[in-house]
Amino acid sequence: MLDMDFLCLRELLQNHRILLCFNGPISRSLIEEIGFALKNYLEADHARPSATMDVFGAYVELTQNIRHYAASKGYRDTDSAATILVACDEDGAYLIQTGNVVDAADASPLLERIAQLAAMDPIELKHAYKTQLRRPIAHGASSGAGLGLIDIARKARRPLIATQRPLDDGKIFFSLRAIL
Amino acid sequence: MSTSFTLPGTQTTPTIVADWNEGLLQMSGDSYPENSFDFFTGTLDWVESFLKRERRPLRLELRLLYMNTSSVKVMMDIFDLLEDAHKLGQEVSVVWRFDPRNERVELLAEEFREDCTFPFHICAEV
Repeated sequence: MLDMDFLCLRELLQNHRILLCFNGPISRSLIEEIGFALKNYLEADHARPSATMDVFGAYVELTQNIRHYAASKGYRDTDSAATILVACDEDGAYLIQTGNVVDAADASPLLERIAQLAAMDPIELKHAYKTQLRRPIAHGASSGAGLGLIDIARKARRPLIATQRPLDDGKIFFSLRAIL
Repeated sequence: MSTSFTLPGTQTTPTIVADWNEGLLQMSGDSYPENSFDFFTGTLDWVESFLKRERRPLRLELRLLYMNTSSVKVMMDIFDLLEDAHKLGQEVSVVWRFDPRNERVELLAEEFREDCTFPFHICAEV
């Protein structure tokens, strides 16, 4: 059985100022519970109300995206797992990074989309947001409004960074990093 | 559906009070349900039937805080219904009250107001 150096893990988390780290299948209630904990951590960390809302908002959009995506693909167990990390630095900036499994065919369009958003200035991002807001949604669509990534890009201090890593079964581990 | 209804708020959904006789819809709290379109269907229908069946004014009083983007999308749909009614001469208005310590809420309300020509007041509440 695994017997890791637990102090080492604790120091790793502390040294990187990691507020929250989660990996596993994520249910709706778990998103709510972790979100509630995150909000409390941020408030205890004396984050400004707007910073708390930005980090919490990015967390909600990213985790709900992962849930919607896994559900639309009929993923089970490990494929539907989300990896979530929230950390802060001395300047009051917050890092939120999430990762999840995606079909190989979906990875490139997603990376392209994020590269497009990363290249936009605030005015272009606002325009993209308003355009998407006005786009009709297919009736009965269970997923979101396609606004989540644009919303995070608008609130981020730096351009979003997405990465992909191939997995043994041909799928891709997709990861997104936002600094807020 | 010429009735009034009250939906108590939860951690992820706002409190909604719809009063047909008063012509008043109030919403307050956080809004980030996983499926916002399902959650707001009843409210959207209520606004639509009020505007269709009544010529009286309709007022919205909002104290919404955090909204996920799908809730924002539905809220835009509600404001679009008000905008259409306003253009047909019906009296509609929105008052959005916010805590001045949180400028994000004010920015959110301001972005909605950009697309509306009916009276839309954003008020800091101390």
